[in-house]
Amino acid sequence: MDTFSSVTPVLAQAAFWITVGFTVSGAAIAVFPRNILYNVLGLALALSGIAGLYLFLGSFFIALMQLLIYVGAVCIAIVFAIMLSRPLHLETPKRAIPKVALGLAASAVFFVASASVALRTEWVPAVERSTDWSVETIGHMLLTRYELVFEVISLVLLVAIIGAIVTAGFSRRLSS
Amino acid sequence: MDALPRDPVLLATVLGTSLPFLSMAVILIFTRANRQLSSRISVAAIGCSLASALFLLITLRAAPGAIQYQTEWFSSGNFNVAFGYYLDPLSLLMLTIVAVIAFLVQVYSLGYMAGDPGFSRYYAFQSLFAWAMMNMVIAGSLLQLFIFWELVGLASYLLIGFYYEKWSASQAGKKAFVMTRVGDVGFFLGIIILVIGFGNLGIPELNTAGASHSIPQQLITVSALLILCGVIGKSAQFPLLTWLPDAMEGQTPVSALLHSATMVAAGVYMFSRIFPFFSASPEAMTAALAIGTVTMILASTMAMVTYDIKQVWAYSTISQLGLMVMALAAGGYFAGVYHLTTHAGFKALLFLCSGIFIHSFHTNDMRIIGKEGGRRLTIPTVCMTIGALALAGVFPFSGFFSKEAILGVLAAQPGKIWLYAGLIGALLTAYYSFRLIFYIVLPQGGISASSDSGHHEPSHDEEHHGYIFWAMAVPVIILAGLTLILGLFFEHPLQGFISGMLGHGSASVLLVQHTTPEAHGIGHELLLALGVSAGLFGIALAWFEFGRKDSSRTGFLSCFPSIWRLFDLRWFMDIFFRKALDTAVYAGLTSLFTKNDRRIIDGAIDGICFFTEAGGRLFSFLQSGMLQYNLLVMALGAGVAILFFLV
Amino acid sequence: MNSLNTYLIISAFLFSLGLLGVLQRRNLIGMLISVELMLNAANLNFMAFNRFLTPDPVVGQIIALFVMGLAAAEAAIGLSIILALFRKMHSINIERAQKLKG
Repeated sequence: MDTFSSVTPVLAQAAFWITVGFTVSGAAIAVFPRNILYNVLGLALALSGIAGLYLFLGSFFIALMQLLIYVGAVCIAIVFAIMLSRPLHLETPKRAIPKVALGLAASAVFFVASASVALRTEWVPAVERSTDWSVETIGHMLLTRYELVFEVISLVLLVAIIGAIVTAGFSRRLSS
Repeated sequence: MDALPRDPVLLATVLGTSLPFLSMAVILIFTRANRQLSSRISVAAIGCSLASALFLLITLRAAPGAIQYQTEWFSSGNFNVAFGYYLDPLSLLMLTIVAVIAFLVQVYSLGYMAGDPGFSRYYAFQSLFAWAMMNMVIAGSLLQLFIFWELVGLASYLLIGFYYEKWSASQAGKKAFVMTRVGDVGFFLGIIILVIGFGNLGIPELNTAGASHSIPQQLITVSALLILCGVIGKSAQFPLLTWLPDAMEGQTPVSALLHSATMVAAGVYMFSRIFPFFSASPEAMTAALAIGTVTMILASTMAMVTYDIKQVWAYSTISQLGLMVMALAAGGYFAGVYHLTTHAGFKALLFLCSGIFIHSFHTNDMRIIGKEGGRRLTIPTVCMTIGALALAGVFPFSGFFSKEAILGVLAAQPGKIWLYAGLIGALLTAYYSFRLIFYIVLPQGGISASSDSGHHEPSHDEEHHGYIFWAMAVPVIILAGLTLILGLFFEHPLQGFISGMLGHGSASVLLVQHTTPEAHGIGHELLLALGVSAGLFGIALAWFEFGRKDSSRTGFLSCFPSIWRLFDLRWFMDIFFRKALDTAVYAGLTSLFTKNDRRIIDGAIDGICFFTEAGGRLFSFLQSGMLQYNLLVMALGAGVAILFFLV
Repeated sequence: MNSLNTYLIISAFLFSLGLLGVLQRRNLIGMLISVELMLNAANLNFMAFNRFLTPDPVVGQIIALFVMGLAAAEAAIGLSIILALFRKMHSINIERAQKLKG
């Protein structure tokens, strides 16, 4: 927030909505085109937009992490998967209209539901709110109060890595 | 339990009635391999029982009333089941009889069963039998009585089917077990009705209530008739009488025990045990009288045609039991019990004598025994003749006195038909028993030459004068002595003893009937003469046909082949039962059960399986393999649910 | 800056878009991309709440970090499953994966 305090509110609003536009259009590109590469690129765009929104929400650190982990790692991993499974060379079946319609209906219902939950709820901010957004505090908390969660997440990541290697690598050896 | 050492009566009761069970357990668990030791343990245990029974009898002979020990077994609501001992003259007398007969039979078996591979097992079962019977006798409540009643049935099943590898033996055991069970179902139903209607199963309570008519009349009649079913099954009364002749598959000493003091006597004993209760229901008494009469006549006729020495006595047991039931049903409490006592003595005697013959000649056929020189075995021949005389009711043997008592009771009945039936029964009894005696003692054409040359005589001589023979002969002699004195010297003491109980009880009225038969038309002397002459006429008839030098030895019945056949086939009762079994049980019930099993139970299970499978098939379309449809339904459902709860 | 509801609506929109992708894409990788989108929408929610409501803004950020970690793990596993599936069936069309059809 402090980052944008010097900018006038109008400009800030404009920047915000531009970011939102990037995010939404990136999400649309990630979902609608049938070429998988466009999807990945759209995802990267949407994730970057979300990183921008994090900036607007006041967390420089999380925005950086978003770029690092999602745009940098996850998207690249998906690109790798695309290259390894060569979906580009496979048939791209025609859209099944009923399926798309049903999916649209379901997600529309879900959108209406969640949006109305958001709008209908009376959100009450906490009475006393700390203003400490520093990275030091996050690091401190991660290593003290949330250490167990931190460790468990590390373990989950480790298991995921090993599991990924096993499913992707060993099955090849077993099947061949 | 701390009262145990201080009370000799209780101590004797507990010891006497539980030692045989202990011996059975010890034999079955520890000493099966050692035959000598097993038999000694068993005989010692039953000896102790005998001693304590005699002690109790002597100690309590002048007791003012019944002695009762009981402890609560379990209670349900306000219904208590007591478990305990009930010592009154009847149970003391019966306890003594059981102990004496069981003891003598076990001693006898030392000889009879010598060398049998199942010797230890035999003694274990004998102990079980004695234990069950003695506990049944002194049971304080009907439920306890029923439990030991069933144990008696179990023990006799085990002993009848002792040679279980023999088909006919195992069949006979099964038959005895199942047929008595048929009656026991009725017995148990009767007990249940009593529990529901009366709420107390104590024997003294039942008797008091019966005598004072404090139970509704219908309840008494229904439960008494049902309990009578138990008597019919156990004491082999009509129509459940055919199991007893088949029970001959057991060893002869077992038959002796079974026929005299234990198994079949249990039914009559139970009848007399709750006699005041029964006598409160004239309908049940009349039914019992009719059943006893039919049984007696039927069984006597059957005994007239068989050549199997044991079967003759088996039929005679049935007919004598019928006579006892008649006596009891006619209100002759003492007569019935007295005949039960004397019959136990002379029937055991007859069986044990037959056992010696069978053991020596390895056959049951009286003609062969006679031909091979049965009369050379002097002791059993004489003793058997004594037994047969008692059975025929000849003075001065014990049967005479008890039979006279019964005839006196029957004469006191309003209808004379019962008396005539009793006299016919006496006649037939004398006829068939002396038919047997003459077959053995006076064989046609003398003793056969093969036996004269004595190809197996030496071995017999050795055997008969050794340990084995005397083990068998001594009990026989004792029993013969008992048969002689039991009537002559003990009628009045016994009468006083037994009647004492009823005098203390509340049914003394019932006794009056038979003590004064003169009041009912027939003089006592005339009755006596009638009874004796019936017996003597039967003996004379038997002598005329079988005993005299140039007699035909076929019997007058052989002139009527169809009647012979009727008697020989037990009045077609077995065939009838077999047919009934085939049609009612196998064709009817069993097929119904089979159908029930196949159609209903299997069908139900198949149906459950079918519906499960069909349901699975029906719902498997949800598993379309289209993951996204599942997800779609989930998302849609979640959205709709959120909207639903929001609005 | 802007209200909480703005962010919530944006996040709901992104989530529904991701849901639509998951529901109608036949390409497994496309579905995975949509799932990532949904996760980010949820994360955006966390961050919005963190910005406007919570007493301690550190907590929301930590949760967002954890979600990112989980998403990374999910992506790794998902991609390897896709690879294994591709090797088995020579296709990453989800409608072909019907071996357990009832």
